[in-house]
Amino acid sequence: MKFEFQFPDIGEGIHEGVITKWLVKEGDMIKEGDSVAEVETDKVTTEIPSPKTGKIIELKASNGDTIHVGDVFVVIDTEGSAEEVSSEDKKDTLAEKKEIVEEENAGVVGEVISSSEVIAPSDEKEGNSASENVAGKALATPVARKLAKDLGVDINKVVGSGPNGRVMKEDIIKASKQPSEAEHKEVLDETVKTTVDAKEEKIIVEEEKIERIPLTRIRKTISQKMTQSRFTIPHTTAMDEIDVTQLYEFRKKYKDSLKEEEINLTFMPFIIKATISVLKKMPEFNATLDEENDELILKKFYHIGIATDTDRGLMVPVIRDADRLSIIELAKKVDEVSNSAKNNQIELKDLKGSSFTITNYGSIGGYYGIPIINYPESAILGVGRIVQKPVVKDDEIVKAWILPLSLSYDHRIIDGASGARFLNMMRELLENPEMLLLKA
Amino acid sequence: MKKYDIVVLGGGPGGYIAAIKSSQLGKKVAVVEKDKLGGICLNWGCIPTKTLLSYAKHFQDILRSEDFGIGGIDKSKVYVDIEKMMLKKDETVNKLVSGIHMLFKKNGVDLYNGFGKVIDDHNLDVNGENLSFDNLIIATGSKAYIPNIKGLKESFESGKAINNTGILGLKDKLDTVIVLGNNTYAVEYATFYNAIGTDVTMIFEDKNILPDYDSELSQTLERQLKKSGIKLVNSSDITEVRDDKILVSQKGKEKEFTADKYVVFYGIRPNLSGIENLKLIKDENGFIQTDERLRTNIKNIYAIGDVNGKMPLAHVASFEGVVASENISGIDSKIDYLKIPKVVYSFPEISSVGLTEEEAKLKNINYSIGKFPLSANSMAILKGETSGFVKILADKDMYGEIIGFHIIGNDASNMISEAASVMNLEGTIYDLARVVHPHPTLTEAIVEASLDAIEKPLNI
Repeated sequence: MKFEFQFPDIGEGIHEGVITKWLVKEGDMIKEGDSVAEVETDKVTTEIPSPKTGKIIELKASNGDTIHVGDVFVVIDTEGSAEEVSSEDKKDTLAEKKEIVEEENAGVVGEVISSSEVIAPSDEKEGNSASENVAGKALATPVARKLAKDLGVDINKVVGSGPNGRVMKEDIIKASKQPSEAEHKEVLDETVKTTVDAKEEKIIVEEEKIERIPLTRIRKTISQKMTQSRFTIPHTTAMDEIDVTQLYEFRKKYKDSLKEEEINLTFMPFIIKATISVLKKMPEFNATLDEENDELILKKFYHIGIATDTDRGLMVPVIRDADRLSIIELAKKVDEVSNSAKNNQIELKDLKGSSFTITNYGSIGGYYGIPIINYPESAILGVGRIVQKPVVKDDEIVKAWILPLSLSYDHRIIDGASGARFLNMMRELLENPEMLLLKA
Repeated sequence: MKKYDIVVLGGGPGGYIAAIKSSQLGKKVAVVEKDKLGGICLNWGCIPTKTLLSYAKHFQDILRSEDFGIGGIDKSKVYVDIEKMMLKKDETVNKLVSGIHMLFKKNGVDLYNGFGKVIDDHNLDVNGENLSFDNLIIATGSKAYIPNIKGLKESFESGKAINNTGILGLKDKLDTVIVLGNNTYAVEYATFYNAIGTDVTMIFEDKNILPDYDSELSQTLERQLKKSGIKLVNSSDITEVRDDKILVSQKGKEKEFTADKYVVFYGIRPNLSGIENLKLIKDENGFIQTDERLRTNIKNIYAIGDVNGKMPLAHVASFEGVVASENISGIDSKIDYLKIPKVVYSFPEISSVGLTEEEAKLKNINYSIGKFPLSANSMAILKGETSGFVKILADKDMYGEIIGFHIIGNDASNMISEAASVMNLEGTIYDLARVVHPHPTLTEAIVEASLDAIEKPLNI
């Protein structure tokens, strides 16, 4: 059977791309998930994986050709490939994909769904879901088993109340009333859908007065991510003002001379440095709650996501191992990642895997905000605009440069006192740049 | 002063099991018993009656020995020696009671023989000695209920009216007895006396005997009892009990009955002496209120067995003892009374677990019925005891889960546990219908009854 592989929607509203390198040639055998070509878009350079296993019959474009979403660019003969791909292999592929989704925490808001995911759901593949990979058989009564099936409850996830944890009828009835964590997202999706439906009904009446814009892939991703974070994590936010007058002077002293070296020294690298120093002392802020296993995952790496405003929407490029970089190196890196995000030059890998995120709405003029956590991280720091304000010092009103900070955190695992302590430690480091250099 | 994790007040089938289980769970336990270990069940209840009933059954078998091709027995010379029967019964009881003493030693349970008086929710006095406890399990059991019927009390005083303890003290065979009441005890003693050749009349207020059982079972048993010669006087109010006669008003008609003894079984009331200092919540008959974990309204005090009135049966008391011990030891466990079997050792026997058909109707359950008569079961036929049937109720809306199981027939007591097992595992008639049973056995009737509820039985 011939399969005509159309250039897929790889996300973020990309409509076209340039084939920079073919990774297969006609006559090659290819496995589902293996890359066929490297494609450069106005946004990222990425490899396009094959959705099918089979033999490459025809490559319909050459290196350097521009192809559009929907264009057939590869023809694959899938005949007889069914035997070659054992179901085992298929499961592996699925499992791998699942891992990608779970492990790599793509940026809040700026997650670019990996292209393999976007391509995957072809009709033939539906129904072969990873959840069918049941490892063991739950201890359950015959009635509980049948009931679970009919109510759509995953019996393996139900805690049994019978002898030896046997799952009884009552347990299934209870479980069916409370959506499991796994189903939670589905329920949310459903809720969102109903809300939208309800709104739509109203909107239809005045159709002429409105404009309908289909959501881009990145907007859809932002929407999903925001909903998931907001409805999964009970957020709470601590706010504080920090007197950064000394830091302000310190920066002023070196700013111009560094500019000659083409280094743009903003406050951001200092804030990142201070944040990492605090994260090391309070690891629960650089963590993820593993809801399935009731475990707290403390991360021993410091990949800092920098929420960045771009034309296409919010993106979160990541500075990897930021703890190993000096202030100057951080300054360079912040510039580099935010520019490449703004100029569509960022690569997918640079948008994934952050352990803590900082969002700087101050650059646009905001003072306080209530940032939404970059799920599944445990906290996010919001940075406001530094303004000069009158403050009382030693009984006198003096001028001071004030930095407003908003720290949102996962209240399931972090108590209010810790939130306040976090900001206190930030104050200690940011009020006194020498202390920052000594401690951070 | 001795300090215990758990003190169990009462050494009956609830209390002694609770003590052993608690000890096995690592607790320091004492049992306070004013009389004999084993309680009513072992000494004056289940064990003696079942022993006597078993002897009576042998007697019946001997009387119909010709049915089995056994000749040479002169029936005019066969008789029941009550005194010897009682002695044999005592041997059995003593053996079982001494078994409990041994189990206590083995499990390190301290036994205090004396009347336990609870001082407060952490202290108890026995024989002048103070025992302090973290938890108390009340297992004081019950006593016979004597209703306010004119002359009944006096009749007990004169010895004309007796109950189980009185019966077990008799040395001679009675020619005639009147059984007052229609519960399990009443039916079992009526069965016993009838089987050993005593003329039996049962007088009771309800329309039928055993009103707690599925009416199809109790009505079938009534026919059997009548067939065996027991006179049933139903829907009757007792106007007066006198030593020479009992005056009865049956549907407006006045009647009189006389007999050698009146055997009286009007149910039970809890034994509450010794625990007056505890402010326990009780129902209108005095039974201590407990939940499915056997907790009372006082945090560290549990009540098991007859004293809570839930299901006054020895095996219930024992399991309640296990559940109470587990909960005290931090193991969350519960009892589900709907999955506990009960038995009447009549001839034929009755056994039952779960809902009766009447209860299923009341609960608006969409049920199906499967039934199979023992007259079509090979084992019943070869034993010559074909009266009775198996009746299964299954919930159609719950995949055919078995919700009620009722058996009347010889050896029904041994058959019911299979039903209890399946029900505890939430099994369905479909599961049961696929279990191969050995042939020939009475339990084949269970498979056939399941098939009847689904489609068609194979052997009828």
